[in-house]
Amino acid sequence: MEQPAQPQKKQRPRVGVFVCHCGINIAGVVKIPELMERVGVMPGVAVTKDYKYCCSDPGQQMIRDSIKNDRLDRVVVACCSPTLHETTFRNASAEAGLNPYQCEIANIREQCSWVTEDKATDKATEIVRTTKAKVENDFPLEAITVPINKRALVVGAGIAGIQAALDIANAGHEVVLVDKEPSIGGHMAQLSETFPTLDCSQCILTPRTVEAGRHPKIKLMTYSEIESVSGYVGNFKVKVRQKARYVDFKTCTGCGVCLEKCAGRTDARFERGLVRGKAIYRLLPQAVPNRPVIDAKACVYLTKGKCGICAKVCPTGAIRYDDTDKFVEEEVGAIVLATGYELFDAAGLASYGVGLVPDVVDGLAFERLLSASGPTSGEVKRPSDGKVPKKIVFVQCAGSRDSTAGMPYCSKICCMYTAKQAILYKHRVHDGEATICYIDVRTPGKGFEEFYKRATDDGIQYLRGKVSKIFRQGDKVVVWTSDTLAGRKVELEADMVVLATAVVASPDGVALARKLKTQIDSHGFMTEAHPKLRPVETLTAGFFLAGCGQGPKDIPETVAQASAAAAKVLAMFGNTRLTHSPTTAEVEEDICVGCGYCERTCAYEAVKVDPATKKAVVNAALCEGCGACAVACPSGAMTHKNATKKAIFQMTDLF
Amino acid sequence: MTKYAYYPGCTLYTKARNLDLCARKAAEKVGFELTEMPSWNCCGAIYNATSDDLAAQVGPVRNLAKASQLGEKLVTLCAACYNVLKRVQDRLDQPGNEIESERLKTFVDEKFERSVKVLHYLEVLKNDIGWDRVKEKVTKPLAKLKVASYYGCLMVRPKEVLGFDDPENPQVMDDLMRVLGAEPTKFDFKAECCGGYLVVNRREVAKAASQKILDNARAWGAEAIVTTCPLCQYNLDKLRVLTDGSLPVFYFTQLLGVAVGLNLDELGLEHSAGDPAGFLRSKGLL
Repeated sequence: MEQPAQPQKKQRPRVGVFVCHCGINIAGVVKIPELMERVGVMPGVAVTKDYKYCCSDPGQQMIRDSIKNDRLDRVVVACCSPTLHETTFRNASAEAGLNPYQCEIANIREQCSWVTEDKATDKATEIVRTTKAKVENDFPLEAITVPINKRALVVGAGIAGIQAALDIANAGHEVVLVDKEPSIGGHMAQLSETFPTLDCSQCILTPRTVEAGRHPKIKLMTYSEIESVSGYVGNFKVKVRQKARYVDFKTCTGCGVCLEKCAGRTDARFERGLVRGKAIYRLLPQAVPNRPVIDAKACVYLTKGKCGICAKVCPTGAIRYDDTDKFVEEEVGAIVLATGYELFDAAGLASYGVGLVPDVVDGLAFERLLSASGPTSGEVKRPSDGKVPKKIVFVQCAGSRDSTAGMPYCSKICCMYTAKQAILYKHRVHDGEATICYIDVRTPGKGFEEFYKRATDDGIQYLRGKVSKIFRQGDKVVVWTSDTLAGRKVELEADMVVLATAVVASPDGVALARKLKTQIDSHGFMTEAHPKLRPVETLTAGFFLAGCGQGPKDIPETVAQASAAAAKVLAMFGNTRLTHSPTTAEVEEDICVGCGYCERTCAYEAVKVDPATKKAVVNAALCEGCGACAVACPSGAMTHKNATKKAIFQMTDLF
Repeated sequence: MTKYAYYPGCTLYTKARNLDLCARKAAEKVGFELTEMPSWNCCGAIYNATSDDLAAQVGPVRNLAKASQLGEKLVTLCAACYNVLKRVQDRLDQPGNEIESERLKTFVDEKFERSVKVLHYLEVLKNDIGWDRVKEKVTKPLAKLKVASYYGCLMVRPKEVLGFDDPENPQVMDDLMRVLGAEPTKFDFKAECCGGYLVVNRREVAKAASQKILDNARAWGAEAIVTTCPLCQYNLDKLRVLTDGSLPVFYFTQLLGVAVGLNLDELGLEHSAGDPAGFLRSKGLL
């Protein structure tokens, strides 16, 4: 032991094991002295040390000093999960001259002390032994670096997507902004006024839509959907399907003559079915881009071969009946998913009369009735007979917080928008009566509680109880509910009912998430990488989240999250190259027979069999190091760096 | 012809003889036979929901034990019997409930041969016979008869145990009416409370509840109501003040009987209020 160690030779590596107490998190359950004693006598272990908090500065210093003084060439830190401090200890090891990939974490907290009642010390011993066996087989590795394409894709051009796109573009990077609708603005373009300040939604939105539409760095692709995404963080290839518009956007001037003459009729989705729309349409007068498209299913010419009036009246000859879907390839380095929400289809709530009673509408439909650009020009008229309703009952939590309807969560925006709608209704109809049926009123935002107070001061009646039934009686709508504060059953007769139906993830967003293999929760909302500390990133590197696609939220929160997602994209674009973990799969070409099991197993499309050489090739930048291919490989040609078969056999103590 | 063990229950021997009578006859026309199980006893009338209720379950347990000796299926007609028997069988079968289940079984002399599949007559028509075969047997389609199907509470709740139909918007009787040639109307009150046993001590409450159901059915343009529960039928039919515009309240088996060609004396219409026979005649169905 007097001579300097020579780790390159077949000498057994010198492993240092550092056991963290994590206060009482580990030490309160695992008997540290006993563990130290057992680990100390394991073959190959040169040093064992313990410390109250290894992640602290003195703790890291202890490890650095020990690497130098005890001539360690492998390090095991027995502590919390590697998702928390693996980077900390690998950096500390690197500072002391060790290859960081020869430092491993033995998780004796989340996988032992927190979840084990008895025999925790035995379990901790085994976890440390296993990790020691792995680290002894670890090779020194270098991180992989890849170039970044500093161009971003934003999917969804509601207020979230627009904000993220503007922030990235204003920092000088190109953005491709894609939306499935013919114009941008999302649901915010449907709203009348916004809580809690009652500023007009259009008035605050249109400056943003105009800016996005005219920004030299933003490439707007409306009426388009994402067909596929390949590649990896920093270097994605995106195929966009531009749906047939039947209108040439370059030639069209947006004059709107065609809109007046069109004979085809269809449900106006944007108007929530309150009126019939035309086959050639734009969503709203301030549409960006201000160009109409043709709904092929409703167009008389496209379905029956007759009519063609729009082509006849168009002064610039912009109508193209022979238009088809087009595919466009875009290359980007980062993707912001801002796919948004829809309202739950209340037809699923059979007892709420949707479909049976025409004067039961949802929150977005009522926004259209309040909106100056809506079908009634902002006059509140009920759908059945166009009369001004003198009494409206608003029903909160229609589907939300109802596990039997499949939505146990709070939709977060309904308490406020219902209060707003009731206030606006009273502004429009001075002698109107508004009653709000609620379970709880939740106002945890800036100015929200004051706004709720304003609603109650305006004479809006709040009734605490869950509505059980809504039905038609003559030309009235009857609501059965209870007043749980007074302890009595209540029957309300109204001219109209507005349901605050639950916010659900947009079905197109859910389909896209599935296509991109990014995580969604059981309700279809996209899952962030960490609920508290990485709220706008996903577990797929290079995908970021903004807006209601990640969960219900109001406009201020959506905008804040969109800017956060943009900041994450910009932080990534601040680097010249991206680093990627080198613990990937690798192929031993002499053994590989090109059977392709690995290619079929890989979830990341990182392994391909080269048709020329008939050998598997790993794209290390795409490989997430899951190891599935190494397991699938029948010949043993595929291995996983630093998780070789030899290492795993030794870890599992099989020989 | 498929034979089923049949549990009529007390009401079908008294107030609801008309539900039972044409059900048996119509079954034969459609292609199955109901064999009344011997020495049946009270079903329990209501599924007991108190916490210490073992003694209250003994009645239905004995019925189930006897039925288990006859075969694996037991057919019921009364909504209350169906509800109680099916829930008690479900309770006996619950995983983790073996000790209680064994205790209950020791209370009765009859040996349990198997778990009994409690079926409603409508389930037999829909699943075992099939709508297509029922349709083939229709000799007198209930053409253009606008019927509101009223299910009440006991047929559909609790959904997890009965699994009979959607508790908010059940469809099976509407489907049957369509098969028989009638036009089922929309209806908001398919599964609302008829007032139930409140007819005994709070008659006015039951009366108001039933009237709402009738009014809503009429508002949707119904000419008649069809139901399956004797208590619902009683409340809807007997508590109201009969007027010229009163809707006749039929059991589904009566309309089934009409459609498959039973005679007037097999329909038991005389037990109902008003003049249901006259109504059917005016529709050209008798």
